[in-house]
Amino acid sequence: MERETLDVDVLIVGGGPAGMSAALRLAQLQKAKGGEPLSIAVLEKAREVGAHMLSGAVLDPRALRDLVPDFEQRGAPLGAAVEHDHVYFLTRSSQAPFPLTPPPLRNHGNFIISLNRFVKWLGGLVEAEGVDVFTGFPAAEILYDGDRVAGVRTGDRGIGRHGEVKPTFEAGVDIRARVTILADGVRGNLTKALVRRLSLDEGRLAQLYALGIKELWELPKDRVPAGTVIHTMGYPLRMEEFGGGFIYGLPDGLVSVGFVSGLDYRDPMFDPHVTFQHFKRHPLVAGLLRDGQMVRYGAKALPEGGWHTVPRLHGAGALITGDAGGFVNSMRLKGIHLAMRTGMLAAESAFEAIRANDVSAAALESYQRRVDGSDVRTELYPVRNVHQSFEYGLVPGLMFSGLSLVSGGWWLRDPMPSHAGFERMRKIADYYRDGRPDPDSTVNPARIDRQLTFDRLTNVHYAGTRHAEDQPSHLIVYDTDICRTRCREEYGNPCTRFCPANVYEMVDAGDGTRKLQINASNCVHCKTCDIMDPYQIIDWVPPEGGGGPQYEGM
Amino acid sequence: MSVLVIAEQRGGTLNRATWETIAAAQQTGEALHIAVVGHGVDAVAAEVAAARCERVLVVDDAALAEYTADGFVLALSALIEQEQPGLVFLPHTYQTRDFAPALAARLKRALVTDVTAIRKDGDRFVYVRPMFQGKLSADVAAGGPPPHLVTCQIGAYRADSAARGDAPAAIGKAAIAVDAARIRQRPEAPFKEARQAVDLSQAARIVAVGRGIKAQENLKIAEQLAQAFGAEVAASRPICDAGWLPMDRQIGSSGQTVAPKLYVALGISGAIQHLVGMKGSRTIVAINKDADAPIFEVADYGIVGDLFEVVPAIVAELNRA
Repeated sequence: MERETLDVDVLIVGGGPAGMSAALRLAQLQKAKGGEPLSIAVLEKAREVGAHMLSGAVLDPRALRDLVPDFEQRGAPLGAAVEHDHVYFLTRSSQAPFPLTPPPLRNHGNFIISLNRFVKWLGGLVEAEGVDVFTGFPAAEILYDGDRVAGVRTGDRGIGRHGEVKPTFEAGVDIRARVTILADGVRGNLTKALVRRLSLDEGRLAQLYALGIKELWELPKDRVPAGTVIHTMGYPLRMEEFGGGFIYGLPDGLVSVGFVSGLDYRDPMFDPHVTFQHFKRHPLVAGLLRDGQMVRYGAKALPEGGWHTVPRLHGAGALITGDAGGFVNSMRLKGIHLAMRTGMLAAESAFEAIRANDVSAAALESYQRRVDGSDVRTELYPVRNVHQSFEYGLVPGLMFSGLSLVSGGWWLRDPMPSHAGFERMRKIADYYRDGRPDPDSTVNPARIDRQLTFDRLTNVHYAGTRHAEDQPSHLIVYDTDICRTRCREEYGNPCTRFCPANVYEMVDAGDGTRKLQINASNCVHCKTCDIMDPYQIIDWVPPEGGGGPQYEGM
Repeated sequence: MSVLVIAEQRGGTLNRATWETIAAAQQTGEALHIAVVGHGVDAVAAEVAAARCERVLVVDDAALAEYTADGFVLALSALIEQEQPGLVFLPHTYQTRDFAPALAARLKRALVTDVTAIRKDGDRFVYVRPMFQGKLSADVAAGGPPPHLVTCQIGAYRADSAARGDAPAAIGKAAIAVDAARIRQRPEAPFKEARQAVDLSQAARIVAVGRGIKAQENLKIAEQLAQAFGAEVAASRPICDAGWLPMDRQIGSSGQTVAPKLYVALGISGAIQHLVGMKGSRTIVAINKDADAPIFEVADYGIVGDLFEVVPAIVAELNRA
């Protein structure tokens, strides 16, 4: 097949905070150091810059200060400076404030932002520097030259549901680059493939993930004043489950309300979406949301494993940045500044390597050294064992977190041993010894009133997600027989619960049994299914370009 | 001040949404002109001349026989500069969405899209349009010099509420020629799928089925009802996903948006994704086993019952009449 090709010096895959920071840093280096102009391109699967951006979000501005020192004059949309920090421990019907805000959760000097707006702004700066930002183009696969990454192939368009070529067919483009910076986000499809091919995770701990579900609400003004940060622990989670809630006050009565659930729970019937509904029904939260309107919904996975789970960050011709590399501080609940910083450091190494005309793995190892010598390591290394300690439950986890603050994270066994989240899920027969729950209903349902609480399908509508309907499913389940037989028996089809977008349904097969139905066009690109499926037979691949959520204001 | 409505036609057939836009424009209380653009569109002009309006203007040019964005932008920008209307109203159809932004940019005028209501605020108009997938309605006032361009959401106004004149309005030809050499697009024959597709937005009555229909062979129950009503058969998403009906019969956020006179929902629970595609229907009848189904929140008539009993009874009654 004839394909168009495009040659660039640096290709950045993913237009989030990491990718855009890399692009901007490259343009700055070019300006400062001169020389042959570099061609730089950014690929973004969303139809417009920022549309797939979702975060809490509280931004630590330290990387931004270095990247755009005059960010205030240039109109950075920073929402509200944090004024008040609150941390509560929730029980079913009451809350106890922490007497002291734990140091990692002190947010003075940080900003509550909409990541969607922030990245749109950053993308504007990048485009103003003459960098090409190609929106609506997902990277489908890596192009290799031996083991050297030589660029990417973008996804085909115009393929029908059953793989047939439609009249609108356009073949994907081969974009060849001297250095490819992967900023494809948490569980990025290219990073996942590259890590496997080059065994970049050898000797590292398994990544641990969490799923964040968030709604944007319009509330009567001053109910949650702009600049208010509330974090909760405890209810509706049990001692064995990791996670917590957040409420962040933005200007103009807009409020972010969300819940993060660790994707390392044991109970196969656990449902993060239902947990979020229970959280909103807690008196503390319900009181704040009363008479408000939910206007947006979204979900995203987070890499929470920390320092020991970060893979080797470079290969010949390739660098890994941001969430794709696992750069999140799970104790501070922050990653945007780390994404920006790693993007900037990757840009510096890519620039240096191209100028020296050496993009080998050995040359690009300078990126690894830059990360090791940066504030990314000084921030992540002391908390390297924190998330792992929660494998032993909430109380040991909290005790170890406190200990880390004084011990620098030291532990008898370092790295502390850990298991991938999907391996921790127990089988129904082991977890429910006193009686088998019905896999098609919720063990602990929340009342849905469509005011405060919503069913999954209604929520998905407010993610604004859209995909061309007539295309192959971009959620590839390698063996759907397992779903109706083994998985149904062993785990009760947990995909129908951990997916926050109603993609997976077990429907009547017409013969008294149930079969899997994949509602792929509901997908909000959170990657939870790829991460949490106990048999690891679900592969998330990018859908036709431009498909996905529309996270305006999120 | 005057309002110019741009009628939409394809192959000499008027798009019903034009009447909705005429109804919206009449509510402004301003003098109304209607433009028909195309080639060989006299019958369409005569049809819209029945509306209560000052006159109908025909822009007829062989270069406009088939729709192209360039052709329409050229013809309409010339017409608007010549006529100097105070406002321009268009139906919010796929075709309008294709050319209206370019037209507004060419004229350097404000464009307000997907409007559901209009009210007067002093000497200016305030337009209501949905935001956040219809969760919020924003009041929008257009800035800059007139004319402002306004597109009206399908189903927001009722076609049959457009006032008819006592006698047909005068039909005149606009002296506008389109330079075919400036049209960059070359339309080819419509895709096969597009040619076969039913345009449910044109149907006056629709019988829609949802998961409650249970099996493909039960669709004949819905077909019998549709036949008795003279209605088109449509469906909610799960039915089309299962391949029981083609995708072009899907109603909702990932299918078509419709506003027929009668919408009968059989075994449809009423997920918001479906409701946004049909809530503008004039009369909604819902038949569902589950009394708590959200479809009943938008239904004018609701029957809580088994559709396999209720529908045959209705069909029998209709056929007896």
